[in-house]
Amino acid sequence: MERERFERIVLPHLDGAYTLARYLTRNDADAQDIVQDASLRALKYGDGFRGSTAADARAWFLAIVRNTAYTWRQRQTNAAFVTEFNEDLHSDAGAAHDPAIAMDLRQALDQLPLEFREVIVLRELEGLSYKEISEVTDVPVGTVMSRLARARKRLQKALT
Amino acid sequence: MTHPDFEAQVDLYLDGELAPSDARELEVHLVQCAECTRFRDKRLALRAAIKSQIPALRAPEALRRRIQTQRRSGARFRAVVVWRSLALAASVAVVAFGGWQLGVQRGRGEMLASEVLTSHIRSLMPGGGHLTDVQSSDQHTVKPWFHGKLDYSPPVYDFAGRGYPLLGGRLDYIGGRSVAALVYGRRQHVINVVLWPRDRDPRASAPAAQTRQGYHVLRWVTPEYSYWAVSDLGLSELQDFERLLLQADSAAAPQPR
Repeated sequence: MERERFERIVLPHLDGAYTLARYLTRNDADAQDIVQDASLRALKYGDGFRGSTAADARAWFLAIVRNTAYTWRQRQTNAAFVTEFNEDLHSDAGAAHDPAIAMDLRQALDQLPLEFREVIVLRELEGLSYKEISEVTDVPVGTVMSRLARARKRLQKALT
Repeated sequence: MTHPDFEAQVDLYLDGELAPSDARELEVHLVQCAECTRFRDKRLALRAAIKSQIPALRAPEALRRRIQTQRRSGARFRAVVVWRSLALAASVAVVAFGGWQLGVQRGRGEMLASEVLTSHIRSLMPGGGHLTDVQSSDQHTVKPWFHGKLDYSPPVYDFAGRGYPLLGGRLDYIGGRSVAALVYGRRQHVINVVLWPRDRDPRASAPAAQTRQGYHVLRWVTPEYSYWAVSDLGLSELQDFERLLLQADSAAAPQPR
């Protein structure tokens, strides 16, 4: 991909990319690695991007981030997974909020399966439409809807 | 329409995905149905809680800078491998990687471990061996020696007081890249430690400790560097050395965000 095009298409969406990677990995260092790896892939294979709008570019780049994160997860050993999880329990994320309540909802999110976690992040934090989420996660819109409903139901329990 | 149908509609409605005519129909139903209204209010409460407790994040500045300056492939370095005779019977080598092409490759860790071990064995070969380019126990001599040879400055320490004296450093060639090596000693034993900046880490997966051909190979990461260490030293002593490096690195590291 042309440098200029890369800067126009990818750079505006680094925050969204990092947010998605961070909540999928629950870990800052891995999230940074994933976003950097994903942006390198975007740079390499970006000529395949055919969209025109900023929203298209965001969905396209987030899909790369998401796939990179899934590849990353497959490589994790069980031991690394446990370490990473414990680390996050003591992370400072959300510390600005009421710690007792915040940890409950954060923990509830962290304990969701990746497939549920990603739809929550993409919908509630990044504001993607069902159709965009379906492009990023590569499942039909109906599946996005049912995953959102099930994820919300589980998060709802943390609130009561 | 049954209640589960309405609940699904409430989600669509709140997500802005419901067609206007369906939305009006749902609004009429909500006025009449306490159960659906309760469901909607719970969803609104959840949305508010997510907004306040699960923030969207900003990409760290360091990450943004790395991505803005990255190229299609890492900078390449010409290998400078000068073989010298082996003078030192016992040493620890810290090998720092130059540029590293990012790429997700299976078996990467396996390959790296093998190359690090090969570098270690080669450095100790009598006659053709090559342990140090710069032979010094002074970290302020060894560290500057890498200036101009690599595009980063690997951390160098002298643990002579702890029984792991710094012996020197060298450039080597691993994984298709120019690498720098720092050499330490422990009685009659040799340890090689490989490190490169984490932002070039190929994120190869490898166990924290493994044994190959009678050598112990350790791998660990710090916020700034990925490390490999290899030696015929006993595992527990090698792990003591790993802890020394970790402590020294964390003492020298900038404060976290």
